[in-house]
Amino acid sequence: MAFAWKQAGMSYNKYLSIAAQAIRKSLKEQARATAERRSQMELKYSRWENGKQGEVKFLGTAPQA
Amino acid sequence: MQSLRFLRTAALRAKPLSSTIRAPMRRGYADAVPDKIKLSLTLPHQAIYKATDVTQVNIPAESGVMGVLANHVPSIEQLKAGVVDIIEEGGSSKQFFVSGGFAIVQPGSKLSINAVEAFPLEEFSLDAVKHQLAEANKIASGSGSEQDIAEAKVEVEVLETLQAALKA
Repeated sequence: MAFAWKQAGMSYNKYLSIAAQAIRKSLKEQARATAERRSQMELKYSRWENGKQGEVKFLGTAPQA
Repeated sequence: MQSLRFLRTAALRAKPLSSTIRAPMRRGYADAVPDKIKLSLTLPHQAIYKATDVTQVNIPAESGVMGVLANHVPSIEQLKAGVVDIIEEGGSSKQFFVSGGFAIVQPGSKLSINAVEAFPLEEFSLDAVKHQLAEANKIASGSGSEQDIAEAKVEVEVLETLQAALKA
């Protein structure tokens, strides 16, 4: 099963994030709460034109490359 | 005159070479070789071990599980999700489940393991693992997109390893 992720055309980074996510979810209640809080992230952006803020877009849920 | 000078430079050049041949690196039984390895097990948010002396570390490399003792050949190993077994100085062993990352053996008995997540086996819940495994298996054998199936397969692999480690 080794390198199954590589055969699927997945990057090692992607493999790591999936593995880490699975591990976090497998923890006991207390540890899981702490770990999942740590993994939260948010990203939003908006384009400023003529001194005015444009539409705000959230990227936190965008599919990862 | 020209050839004489050549001889002299040749002799000069030969000198350090012959001395290294006469006194090669010696390593016998009597040498006090440190039998400890300095381990650093680090995560992005925490350092579990910080240059701590341990006796042996078993790591789940992509090429297979390998044990690292003192004076190991310097190398870089890519890890897969699995158990890192640390045998401490007193002989007691500690087991961490790591997500994968890299283990770097440096000259001078230093080992650095960098992982995304690592937790002691006691902190895992077998029920949570089983629950996730069932879900991941469902997705893996389902009719989702190729990407979803590949991700679920990776999850199944990681969770099965974790389950085996918890049951052992």
